[in-house]
Amino acid sequence: MASFDVMPDMQLYQPAELDDALELADRHGKQGWLLGGGQDTYGWLKDRAKNPQAMIDLNGIEALKGVRETGDGVEIGAATTLRDIIRNPLLNDQFSLLTAAAGRVASPQIRNVGTLGGNLVQDTRCWYYRRGLSCYRAGGNLCYADSPQGMNREHSLFEASRCVAVSPSDTATAMVALDATMVIQSVNGERTVSAAKFFVGPATHITQMTSLETGEILTAIRLPKKWAGKHFYFEKVADRDVWDFALVSIAVAMDLSDGAIQDSRFVCGGVAAVPYRLRGVENAARGKSLGPDSGDTLAALATKGAEPLNYNHFKMPLMENLVRRAMRG
Amino acid sequence: MMDIATFKNDVWGREVLLGVSWDLLWVILIAAFLFVAVHALYMAARKKDRSPSADGPRVSRHSGVDRIFHWVMAGSVFVLLITGIFPIIGIEFNWLTIHWIAGIVLTVVILFHIVRALFWKQLKSMWFSGRDLKEPFDSSIKPGKYSVAQKAMHLGVTVLTLAVIASGLVLFAMIDTPWWDRTNALEESTLGWMFFLHGLSTLLLVGMICLHIYFGVRPEKLFYLRSMIKGWVSKDELEANHDASRWSPDESG
Repeated sequence: MASFDVMPDMQLYQPAELDDALELADRHGKQGWLLGGGQDTYGWLKDRAKNPQAMIDLNGIEALKGVRETGDGVEIGAATTLRDIIRNPLLNDQFSLLTAAAGRVASPQIRNVGTLGGNLVQDTRCWYYRRGLSCYRAGGNLCYADSPQGMNREHSLFEASRCVAVSPSDTATAMVALDATMVIQSVNGERTVSAAKFFVGPATHITQMTSLETGEILTAIRLPKKWAGKHFYFEKVADRDVWDFALVSIAVAMDLSDGAIQDSRFVCGGVAAVPYRLRGVENAARGKSLGPDSGDTLAALATKGAEPLNYNHFKMPLMENLVRRAMRG
Repeated sequence: MMDIATFKNDVWGREVLLGVSWDLLWVILIAAFLFVAVHALYMAARKKDRSPSADGPRVSRHSGVDRIFHWVMAGSVFVLLITGIFPIIGIEFNWLTIHWIAGIVLTVVILFHIVRALFWKQLKSMWFSGRDLKEPFDSSIKPGKYSVAQKAMHLGVTVLTLAVIASGLVLFAMIDTPWWDRTNALEESTLGWMFFLHGLSTLLLVGMICLHIYFGVRPEKLFYLRSMIKGWVSKDELEANHDASRWSPDESG
């Protein structure tokens, strides 16, 4: 596949107001491309695997940036950089699960420019798809990664439906664990959707990773107070410690009372097309204390229902061990 | 110019068939709408024939088994069309499992119908004769149990349904089911042909179903719809529309 050092010819828009960006997104529709930090974008464009006609740069819109405390928690602008999230005292104090996840995204250089919104809505890293092949996700009728010869070491264990790609986002797992609400705007107004429903699997939307529709912009993410200051755990396993996507990651939020888990959310990344909640683990965790015994019990439930592909069985013990480690206390 | 098929490059860069062009859906729907509109206007302008009465003695047209078959088939076809086409036109939902279950239902009832038609029914009543071909041009010729239009509709639906089932069964082998795991082992070009056949026969079925529904609810044909629900037509309706020497139904209906 040809790759180019230069950007393709396209119209660049740099709106300073959200309303202008929404109007541009509406006007250009599928031919428009929303630009955050560009860390997902530029690869697509340089490989010419995506060829939008207009780029709408959201980085000049101040309303999309910053962390604000609200009556019911915290609201984060979607164009806030990952670096700003990692360094934000309020988030570090109340939602350290998110700052831990953001701190494990790629490299410091990428975190300096990469935005939270961009990290959440980034496309999958399946190399067949990224290469520009006409697979199911690209509108074709075949999953190359799931063929007998397909290389699928990084692909899904759960809920594959024709396509076996996984969500590459580190912060997405934290968002689902924190029961975040995504704020989406378009020229038709605002809608909100829970993080759990924001990310969509191939059974429903085989060509999308999120429920964002054409013309819509993810403008903010709201973290509810419910999980503020609770017990958190985040860990990411990747082939390299820096600048790599998760083979498996885990984001856990636990509400502990007298050392016992009252409520919890265990979410794994890198194992499904969406951040994958371990509901069996969550149900079994209720009333249990942190410790190796509980960890062993819960770890056994982590991979229930997994359907490994030819080359990704190794993800199953990884998942189990991550649950075990989350329960160490 | 609109294409009938869509193509893509395979993993080696060769052009292979991807499937049918779904733009044809709108062509077929518009063509069906135009046909219906023109036919409805023509029928409205035409001199009205005497409407036979539904009262009086009744004769049986469709047995209970046949009516159940028809409506189960109709239901499964509608579910298949909704689950197959809606996601393509942008109404997305978790469709695949519902689609293949409806496909199995359709396959089973079609097999049942084939066996029943071959061994227990009068196959000849649905087949064309030389006299049928004169029927549209000579108002004095009345059909047996089925008119030439009904036979043509049945033949078309038969061919298209068998095509959609055959291609659907091949595609069914490509996905996970309770009985086997997906293999994805089919050649891309073969897969493309299966999708093309599946899509094209689906699109043509959409057109035929539009016409079937239209003729099913036309005032002068409404007694056929009633007979597919209740099983009977009146003797007056039979004599006005059919040749009793070519179709002698039970008068027990």
